[in-house]
Amino acid sequence: MSTVAAIAVFVVAYLFIATEKIPKMVAALAGAGIVLALGVVGSEDAFYSHDTGIDWDVIFLLLGMMIIVGVLRKTGVFEYVAIWAAKRAKGSPLRVMILLVLITAVASALLDNVTTILLIAPVTLLVCDRLDINPVPFLIAEVLASNIGGAATLIGDPPNIIIGSRAGLTFNDFLVNLAPIVAIEIVVLVVILPRLFRGSFTVDPDRVADVMALNEREAIQNPRLLLKSGLVLLAVFVAFVAHSVIHIEPSVVALLGAGVLVLISKAQPKHYLASVEWETLLFFAGLFVMIGALVKTGVIGELAKLAADATGGNALLAVMLILGVSALLSGVIDNIPYVATMSPLVLALTNDIPDPTHSEALWWSLALGADFGGNMTAVGASANVVMLGIAARAGSRISFWEFTKKGAVVTVVTILVAAPYLWLRYFVLA
Amino acid sequence: MAEEFPVVDLDSHALDAARLLAEHRLPGIVVTDRTGCPQSILPASEVVQFLVPSYVRDDPSLARVLDESMADRVADKLGGKTVRSLLPDEPAELPRVDADDTIIEVAAIMARLRCPLVAVMEGKTLLGVISASRLLQLALLPR
Repeated sequence: MSTVAAIAVFVVAYLFIATEKIPKMVAALAGAGIVLALGVVGSEDAFYSHDTGIDWDVIFLLLGMMIIVGVLRKTGVFEYVAIWAAKRAKGSPLRVMILLVLITAVASALLDNVTTILLIAPVTLLVCDRLDINPVPFLIAEVLASNIGGAATLIGDPPNIIIGSRAGLTFNDFLVNLAPIVAIEIVVLVVILPRLFRGSFTVDPDRVADVMALNEREAIQNPRLLLKSGLVLLAVFVAFVAHSVIHIEPSVVALLGAGVLVLISKAQPKHYLASVEWETLLFFAGLFVMIGALVKTGVIGELAKLAADATGGNALLAVMLILGVSALLSGVIDNIPYVATMSPLVLALTNDIPDPTHSEALWWSLALGADFGGNMTAVGASANVVMLGIAARAGSRISFWEFTKKGAVVTVVTILVAAPYLWLRYFVLA
Repeated sequence: MAEEFPVVDLDSHALDAARLLAEHRLPGIVVTDRTGCPQSILPASEVVQFLVPSYVRDDPSLARVLDESMADRVADKLGGKTVRSLLPDEPAELPRVDADDTIIEVAAIMARLRCPLVAVMEGKTLLGVISASRLLQLALLPR
């Protein structure tokens, strides 16, 4: 009975999450509330269990980074770098696009994708306005780069945070295993940009002077705050990298960093708390409780057995299946609930694979599939939805299909590049 | 205490409405439908918002990086727009008072709707308007 209830609640809540008929947070919390009310899981399972409960490491890592970014974005450093880059490109639209794509990819690896898009989109609209060119190709290219770049680190994309916590993978594990392929993917993206957005790079030479007249130094409003934020962010990343030495979990590092930054910047609570996406955090909490019910009732274990039987214990087949299916499903449903659901399943699958290199490859295929799959459609990742909203407000509406035509091509290309990487690195050269 | 005030039609040009506000230094303007019936008050501060590009509204720090040549062209943003497009999608309550309302009643409406201008109506007919400065002038008169 508990099993049927856990499955029914999960399926119904997932349908609401996927169709966004009601806010995602409401669907996830309602689902969690029902499994708790029915006694499928209790408070011990939901709040204190590492296997079936809310993953507080994920919640607090996100909370800490949101606060840090909330203070950092007030410094104007991002606007400075973007305008500086546009001027370095001397107003050439293609060079501007490439530089903005590179900045977005790097920033997405260090910050979450939605924040990166919120920072880069306005400055992109400004540059395109000055050049009097259509900003749509630029905005699409940036969001594609953001979803690819975010895959490079533990904190770059929420699915990675979930995977890191569930699999016990460190910041360095992500850096060593995913950053190289992400760098390759970004080079590939840059190479295909001129073809992907053919005809979007014509500019009136007279407008170039308008870009060169922008004063990027004015973007830095508070140099002292920039220095303090920069130092704290650097310290946080050093602590992430030094995890094997200092043994402080990333969630604790992020919270400590946020606390120190708030103290030394003397930021007001209403300012730094405004940047915390409470709805996202509550959505995660509800999701974890619902999935915990599936784990506790043995549904995930059974699914893992089925998946293991289907692949016949063939690790390479399992890796490729996870990569392909993750890319496909993450394109149509949000990659956060997808990865939250798949993580316990992949964890169970890894237990059946004796070679640790092969079993770790399962996690990397999940991360790459889910992160890159977010590019496939306009609703594949939160950053896509945010970017579409900014474009619409600026009077440059991007339709679902306009985005998807470009996103699907990039997803196919990135997955086709990721597949041989996984095969070569974890099976041929391992 | 009502004063005569110019009005604009919902479908008139936004630029014309802005010129009226600027030339008469008005805090806002009454917007009427085709029959002349007041529909809304368009505060000057709302019109100012449309001078600002959307990307500057999203990221106010970008206002600082723009030079004077861009600043000189801000009013271009109103070109091609109608007054209707400057009003919120969901029609706000029309700040209206009756001709025999007291100063405190008028002040209460202004405070509640945070509007610098109220329409003085008799039925569906606009008699005039009361601006916040006019209200203060009357409120501060020596007794």
